[in-house]
Amino acid sequence: MDVSRPGKGRLRVAVTGASGEYGKLLLPLLERDSDVESILVLDVARPEGDKVDFHRVDLTRHDAEAELTDALTDQPVDALYHLAFLFGPIRNGSLAHELEVIGTMNVLTAAGRARLPRLVVPSLTAVYGARGNNPALLREDSPLQGCPNSRFVTDKVEVEGQVRAFRERHPDMRVLVLRFAPVLGPTIENPVTRLLTRTAVVPTLLGYDPLWQGIHEEDAGRALHQALRADASGEFNIVGRGVLPLSGLIRQAGARPLPLPGPLFRGALHTLDVVGADMLPVALLDYIHYSWVADGRRAETALGFTPFHHVRDAAAALRRS
Amino acid sequence: MAKGVLGNDPFQRGAAQRDGERARPEDKAEPSAKGSPSKPRAKSPGADAPRAHAQGKTSRVARAGRSKSASGPSRAATKDARTRAAKGTASPPPPKPPAPPRHATATRREKEPSEGAPPRRSATSQPPRPAASPRKAGVSSHAPTDGHGVEPAPGGMEHLREPAASTVAPTPVTTNEGTPRTERQREVDHALAEAVAAEVAETTARLAVDEALERRPGKEDAVERLLATELTTELAEAAAEEALDHSPTTERPEAERELAAAVAARVAESAAELAVSEVMDHAPRGGPPTASDERAPFSRGARRGEADVGDDAVEAETPDLEATYLEAEVEVADPTRDELPSHARRSLTLVPPTSDSDEDPTLHAPHASRAPEAARPLAERATGMLALARDIAGQALASEGIGRALGAMNGLVDAVRAGLGTGGGAHLDEYGKDPSLVRRLEPVLEFLYGQYWRVTTQCIEQVPRGAAILVANHSGALPYDGLVMSLALTRERPDLREARWLVEDQVFHAPVLGTLFNRLGAVRACPENALRLLDEHRPVVVFPEGYQALSKPFAERYRLKRFGRGGFVKLALRTGAPIVPVAIVGSEETSPMLGRLPASFLGLPFVPLTPLGPVPLPAKWSIRFGEPISMEGVPAEAADDLGEVQRLTERTREAIQGMLHALLKERRSVFAG
Repeated sequence: MDVSRPGKGRLRVAVTGASGEYGKLLLPLLERDSDVESILVLDVARPEGDKVDFHRVDLTRHDAEAELTDALTDQPVDALYHLAFLFGPIRNGSLAHELEVIGTMNVLTAAGRARLPRLVVPSLTAVYGARGNNPALLREDSPLQGCPNSRFVTDKVEVEGQVRAFRERHPDMRVLVLRFAPVLGPTIENPVTRLLTRTAVVPTLLGYDPLWQGIHEEDAGRALHQALRADASGEFNIVGRGVLPLSGLIRQAGARPLPLPGPLFRGALHTLDVVGADMLPVALLDYIHYSWVADGRRAETALGFTPFHHVRDAAAALRRS
Repeated sequence: MAKGVLGNDPFQRGAAQRDGERARPEDKAEPSAKGSPSKPRAKSPGADAPRAHAQGKTSRVARAGRSKSASGPSRAATKDARTRAAKGTASPPPPKPPAPPRHATATRREKEPSEGAPPRRSATSQPPRPAASPRKAGVSSHAPTDGHGVEPAPGGMEHLREPAASTVAPTPVTTNEGTPRTERQREVDHALAEAVAAEVAETTARLAVDEALERRPGKEDAVERLLATELTTELAEAAAEEALDHSPTTERPEAERELAAAVAARVAESAAELAVSEVMDHAPRGGPPTASDERAPFSRGARRGEADVGDDAVEAETPDLEATYLEAEVEVADPTRDELPSHARRSLTLVPPTSDSDEDPTLHAPHASRAPEAARPLAERATGMLALARDIAGQALASEGIGRALGAMNGLVDAVRAGLGTGGGAHLDEYGKDPSLVRRLEPVLEFLYGQYWRVTTQCIEQVPRGAAILVANHSGALPYDGLVMSLALTRERPDLREARWLVEDQVFHAPVLGTLFNRLGAVRACPENALRLLDEHRPVVVFPEGYQALSKPFAERYRLKRFGRGGFVKLALRTGAPIVPVAIVGSEETSPMLGRLPASFLGLPFVPLTPLGPVPLPAKWSIRFGEPISMEGVPAEAADDLGEVQRLTERTREAIQGMLHALLKERRSVFAG
């Protein structure tokens, strides 16, 4: 599958979910990349860009798979980025599930039919789950314990399962799963940035200060872009340099930690959850209790990705925005 | 303050000395211009030589850089000094001085400290040395020759200069290893610190006096300069000695030296103004003899006779003077007085630990009886000066002590905040250790390790370099043993990589305690973490007994529990890292478990009931390191052989239990050791 190698000609790249958070990071880099000839966008909205070749596909529709297959076989592409994941506040849980799990299923089926040489899927380090039995640094082969309380994380774990099965069925394809630490940056919106910037005071658990990681949005974009050419396959932890305790992350982001005693906090969260206020997801409890630090060494050696920014700077970028 | 700034850095002293030596030939070229009738000071080359020698060759680079940067200004300063000196010789040396105006100086003394000292102090808050260094070369180059121009009796000067030279020379190596300092070593340190202080005092005094003289237009005179300098130097030295004697003896001679130098520099600067005014006021009537008179009260006993020869006119005035003096500054006199009995000792450590002020009246008596034969007004002035010096030294000392206490307090507060989860450090390593927090806590840890627990280690040199698994007994309701082990290894074996200790989940995930331990370097006990740490060639401290050792009642102290499932042996077999058995005695008594409070509502199995809560008891700790058990010859596959694992586990366990028994037998008292 040397078609995807640079220097062997111009690259054609397909992207789903180009208007999402990851798409916004990746598309400008692809536009600037002189090796990329055109970007086939498979989405419901057309993004800006000179190289963009828009093809409207709604991944939540039942006939999405056929449309995708048509689009991908019409003009063969060198790589497909499947970036259609939600990071905004999820009001409609079933729609999110439909898009992420069923959408991914459609994409994978189409990719298998079109025999794409390369597929890139983003994921989260949160899929490892924050548990008391985590080692200090989680490697890519650590079990994905997820977070049973969070649909957001559970869906990602399910997607990872699908992608792994797909990779095993298609050993000739390069399938890269990039597990991103929380992406932080002025233009990014995800649960973590919302947690850090929405209020001036962020509740934490009294007596606990787990280690968190983060990655600057520029680094995240670069990692996605690097996956276009990397001579590797499999999962990679994409994390920024260094770690911060949660309180340090909150401070760097310009807010203040408010430690609450565990039982009180838990009760309050569950009550809020029952009432339906989406102040804080219950799922967060794990992540503010135990450390979940992923080891980024494999991305450095196999993917050739080195983060430029320390988590500190990434969090500080959040404050400046 | 940086070390170099205070002049206790041998390299820096070397730099300054070098400049002086370089500049000296120029001065010698025209000794007549200086109007110094006598030969250049005989003592100074001899005194300087060993010092320069002691600095060693390694300082050459630093010296070169510094002297280059300093050479420009220093030349100018030398020239400046020379012209001034020439001017000074134009006027003939003043005749023998009558009694100086005492009342004027008395008022001045009261005024000066209030108006002169505070701005000074603010100036000294920034490092004094860098500002001074360009000028220093010039100053030190002309001072020795000047000194001889006016000092007819060489014996007098010798006393002042000697300490710096004679003490620095025999101890060229001032680096301090982590070994405990013996009494003898401490003496040397003390002497060294004083020597440093003397030198700093001298230099700073010169600079300050020069500055002060420049501020007074017109009446510049080499003699006055010298007098003022000497006066200031004496004051500063006395103050530094006193500060040293008052300060608690530390294990760290650098700190002592730094303190001495700081005090000396500060006092010298503050006193310079006063000294200059003092000298200026009576210089018109006084001449070279004043020098000896003026110094008499401060100088060592050998010179008292000399001072006695001083003028009788002064002596006549003494009684009433004495009275006023007594009222005015009762507590002031001891520094002068203290010097008198110690004249047998030549130069160093002349001031014995000084008394409190309430002792003063009684101790003042001998001084009074002796005083009439000395120059009274001068003595009074001198005591005034010394009072000032003492005040300043006291303040410096207080600020030092308070600073240390505040530092420790801040460290503790930071630690508590880190434990509660609001600390927010920004420079953690991937395991969660916060080196900056450890640094801020250093005073507390130092106190705990050195003074509170008095940790002693035996055979610590047995710990091999590189990856090693230190297996120790676990004990105490609050497991301080891991922390103490890591402290011991960093202190006694700085050649090893930073050690980490593994902590069982029950402690690691305990609120506050677990978080705090994590920031201090604890790592959660699991094979992945241990492998990673060993791959980094660190010594890893493990407590295979785990949580059951912590929850056992006090009656079962020092009785080893089951050694887990032999995880550490498997680890050693897989990595080839040797196992070092370690026995720790003292940890059981540090936080004995008196009972358990149920705390399931906190998510904890129980909260231990200890005598002082989280505060440990001051039991004496001793740690013995055993013979390493090498894994050579045992194949890595043996990790799967349960029998082999069991055998090695038992061997380690027996080694530890044996050492524990030995240590317990040697121990006479739990708290005294």
